Amino acid sequence: MSLDHLLSSAFLVTWLAAAVRLTGPVLLAALGETFTERAGVLNVGIEGTILLGALAAYLVSHATGAPALGLAAALAAGLLSNLLLAFLYVIVRASQVVAGIVFNGLAVGIASFTYRIAMGEVASPEPVAMFRPLDFGGLGRLPVVGPILFSHTVLLYLTLALVAVASYVLFRTEFGLRLRAVGENPKAAEAAGISVAHTRYVATLISGAGAGLAGGYLMLSEVGLFRDTIVAGQGFIALAIVILGRWTPWKAMIAAFAFAAAQALQLSLQLFGTGVPTQLLLALPYLLTILAISGLLGGRAVQPASLMIPYEKS
Amino acid sequence: MPRFIERRNPPADGPAIFLLSVGLSLVAALLLGGVLFAIVGADPLDAFATLFGEAFGTWRGFGFSLVKAAPLALIALGTVVAWRSGFGYLGFEGCFVVGAAAATAIGLAAGPEGAIGPLPFALFLPLALLVTFVAAGVWSGLVGALRAFYGGNEVLISLMSNYVGLLFVQYLISGPMRAPGGLPQSDRLAPETWLPFILPGTRAHAGILVALVAAVLVWGLLRRTPYGYEMIVTGLNPAAARYAGIPVKRRILTAAFLAGGFGGLAGLVELYGVQHRLVDGMSGGVGFIGIVVALLARLDPLWVVPTAILYGGMTVGADAMQRATGTPSSITFILQGLIVLFVLMSEVLRRYRLRLDLIAGKPDPEVQRP
Amino acid sequence: MTFHLEMREIVKRFPGVLANDRVSLTVGHGEIHALLGENGAGKSTLMQILYGLYQRDSGEIRIDGEAVPLVDTTEAIGRGIGMIHQEFMLVRTLSVTENIVLGLAGGRLGGRLDLDAASARVRALSERHGLAIDPSALIEHLPIGVQQRVEILKLLYRDAHLMILDEPTAVLTPQEKDGLFAVLRALAAEGRSIIIVTHKLHEIMDLASRVTVMRDGRVTACVETAATSERELARLMVGRDVELKAIKTPQLRGPAVLSVDGLTAHDAAGLLRLSNVSLEVHAGEILGIAGVDGNGQPELAQALLGLCETDQGTIRLHGTDISGLTTAERRALGPAYIPADRRHVGSVPELSVADNAALGDQWRLTRIGGLVRDDRAIHGHATELVRRFGVRAAGLDFPAGKLSGGNLQKLILAREIMREPRALVVEQPTRGLDVGAIETVWAELIAQRAAGKAILLISAELEEILNLADRIAVMFEGRIVGIVSAVDANPETIGLMMAGREPVEVG
Repeated sequence: MSLDHLLSSAFLVTWLAAAVRLTGPVLLAALGETFTERAGVLNVGIEGTILLGALAAYLVSHATGAPALGLAAALAAGLLSNLLLAFLYVIVRASQVVAGIVFNGLAVGIASFTYRIAMGEVASPEPVAMFRPLDFGGLGRLPVVGPILFSHTVLLYLTLALVAVASYVLFRTEFGLRLRAVGENPKAAEAAGISVAHTRYVATLISGAGAGLAGGYLMLSEVGLFRDTIVAGQGFIALAIVILGRWTPWKAMIAAFAFAAAQALQLSLQLFGTGVPTQLLLALPYLLTILAISGLLGGRAVQPASLMIPYEKS
Repeated sequence: MPRFIERRNPPADGPAIFLLSVGLSLVAALLLGGVLFAIVGADPLDAFATLFGEAFGTWRGFGFSLVKAAPLALIALGTVVAWRSGFGYLGFEGCFVVGAAAATAIGLAAGPEGAIGPLPFALFLPLALLVTFVAAGVWSGLVGALRAFYGGNEVLISLMSNYVGLLFVQYLISGPMRAPGGLPQSDRLAPETWLPFILPGTRAHAGILVALVAAVLVWGLLRRTPYGYEMIVTGLNPAAARYAGIPVKRRILTAAFLAGGFGGLAGLVELYGVQHRLVDGMSGGVGFIGIVVALLARLDPLWVVPTAILYGGMTVGADAMQRATGTPSSITFILQGLIVLFVLMSEVLRRYRLRLDLIAGKPDPEVQRP
Repeated sequence: MTFHLEMREIVKRFPGVLANDRVSLTVGHGEIHALLGENGAGKSTLMQILYGLYQRDSGEIRIDGEAVPLVDTTEAIGRGIGMIHQEFMLVRTLSVTENIVLGLAGGRLGGRLDLDAASARVRALSERHGLAIDPSALIEHLPIGVQQRVEILKLLYRDAHLMILDEPTAVLTPQEKDGLFAVLRALAAEGRSIIIVTHKLHEIMDLASRVTVMRDGRVTACVETAATSERELARLMVGRDVELKAIKTPQLRGPAVLSVDGLTAHDAAGLLRLSNVSLEVHAGEILGIAGVDGNGQPELAQALLGLCETDQGTIRLHGTDISGLTTAERRALGPAYIPADRRHVGSVPELSVADNAALGDQWRLTRIGGLVRDDRAIHGHATELVRRFGVRAAGLDFPAGKLSGGNLQKLILAREIMREPRALVVEQPTRGLDVGAIETVWAELIAQRAAGKAILLISAELEEILNLADRIAVMFEGRIVGIVSAVDANPETIGLMMAGREPVEVG
């Protein structure tokens, strides 16, 4: 494949449209994770939460034929499962990494068990009712910008709106201030009359909501079929996005797009069968993330100071 | 906090408390597992009998349990070394595949048609172990260097490094190491390089022996040598370690190197014992399950191998159960998760006690006293 | 007349400890009241009950005559109580205003944060009380003294009428302390009541009108400062006549053992911590380093042991330059070090007493050419330390973290002294210890001096320095202001030097 071809508008449009499409679910999960990490909790359990959200979305959408109900179920699954995670993080004060990893294993078991119970042994599972792409009264049919910007499902636009909401809540509200204070100096927050436990509970639930919805997004806008491997590390990608986005929603959006663009480019290149090692492309965002937290670039540590440290009220 | 929950200060401690909490966790997990069996219409007792009977009651099944246990135990040992030294490494998926790739390279080179082959097995195996250990050790050592010299956060970096490792090996088998044919995989290793079977009539290979030797070495290092003492002090209290003249950065680097090395050996035993060729997706989450095994073993190297056999055996039993009765094997994953979860939660029991007298509404004698 | 605050017969039990035993305390409107006691006397517990951090088991608290439950901090803040902890409760990455409004509104998910209005109020308050604080500055960019003023501003913003200050002068220079006292007097004149928690007697005499003294969880006295003396208060605090006077033998001064020349160091943030420090410690001498906390003393100790980077300067031990050596090499050659932080630097609390006794000697207590740890030798070593220094421990396998502060300090002191070092660097050796333990530590240091060791004693307690040292060097902002002989020294001259003023003339 020639360079001309690579730069042809058809290729670019396909690539960018796919990139925007892939940005959605991971960004949604990353937005929620930004909140927990700002409060000092590294929620590694979002990987499993996304899976449970996807499962709930599948089952409910399958049963009712209404994707909106499926999305609501995904949200509920995310909240419910993170109630358990929050208990582990806040009350048990388990190592956050450990609790998250164990939860992820458990989630795979629960998801495939529930799926088996609910669907029985079906040879060829049927896709569920999904959200349809919008086209904004014809805008979606415009050349170039149409497919890139105006032909996605409602979930993408909701997610983008949530970026603005998340940024507002984190930096312009009393709640956001509390969250950031708890993540930086829980003792000081407690002394100011803020309950660290309560704040972290709420933050973990927010991340559960984000991850659950991300699972629903994945199911109802992208996949349509359930397998217990559909998440395939997207939760971990969301963790990377939060870091690369330096714990702010707007930068997370850019980081999510970077990950998605690399992935989309890789898919397109595979399609065209070039000799470029596509793995390098896929690895780039991870390498970038590693570089961002390596300390090689100098500067002070930007992560919330109490991240991963369970808080014990004295 | 409700008044009827009271904090224990200090938390209850001691071997009896530990055994009690683990015992209670096991019982609770098995009870819940039993409920799940009942939901799918299986007799819980029968199901447990199949689950554990296959894995530990039959010779063949036990062999499989050992096959599953070997890589788990090696990764768990890597976890023990790293975490005891305060290096919160999570990059074992990456180490596993990098180790497997190194083992493939040396295995192919030492085979009958290889560049340095054929080597006699007695010479080949130590060489392969060494090369693999060093390759994977350098891989994790890079993360160690970022932490030691630049203050990078090893938990997050190692989590990300997994994907770099997986993608790197994916690249190897779709490019430089790819065998002719449709699938992205390496050439098959010559049978001369395979690990020998150790139990007649089973698939159990010598990997479990590698894990046993490694466990003893790790125990000896951490418990018996001054070097290991320095690693443990570094893990518990880096400031005190520096104060005592311990070269903290070098101890962290050592821990990182050893952790990755053991993770790489896990890849080696899986490759020489089971797969015999480098394929995509070989690790399949074993890098995380190994960490869980280490935690269940309370980061004690001597408990690692038995715990790994138990854990591996449950996986084997689950497959057998599914084949025999159609009971979903996922129940076992849930069971495994629940056991660890309950062990984690039992911490709460160590720290709080219920005031039954207050729940019953009786006045608190302590408060009443003037 | 109603008191502003009345605490009556407060009882608080922790498992195994009666922290407050029927404690009563009254504070009048506009009064500055001191709460005096040794560490562990129960004064912190009492104040944390008042601030809603702990629940009392029994007893009554009245504010302006009204009985109040005080179930949590939110209630306490609502009732006009404010507390400044010894360790400032500020979030470093947030601005002054953000720190001040933190926790004030309801914290609902939508509640907007009006920082502009808050900033204006902060600025106005700051100007009215002469605190000179920029509301938009980030805390991490402010010096300690200013951070303390932010804490005061925080209380004013909440319109706290009853202010609790826990050991407020520990981190201040004498001038900053004077400034603080002026602010506090002004606040009291406005009718606000102030409780100062402290163990420093002279500050009480200076500032407070009444003082409540606590010992072992009980109140031993409540007196007017005008009607008492420091000596009397010390007796009430400790429970016996305290003659904390070290009995020093005549000095047998030998040659210089530890010589430091032109030592300069910056910290990670690039701030100058040590500025051209030069000194000599002789055999059989205790050289005291006086100074307010945070004027380069910890950095000096760390630099001597190779625990922090230095830019220039040399350190010699018996004439041998050790500046380029690692910590392990230095320790092998001679200087032993007793760090200020016993639990986070001097010991590994999770490990056993025996393993802690071996810390630093891990390569010596081995068999088979350093390959394997020698359990018998390790236990023997620990037994020896525990016996010779009277460490009270439940057993050698007992976690060191469970030892009392005094016993842990004895263990660390024993371990370092048993290494037979030629020089000892001792940092804040009695901080947080009770009087009995202080006496033991002092006696041991004097014994080491008599044995011909060169001792560098770093202490923020002037009392300690004046009692033990043969010569006194005063540090201020990383440099040595001057070195005076103990014979010529008195608290006034040293105090002036601690504020950075050069000594007029010294021997």
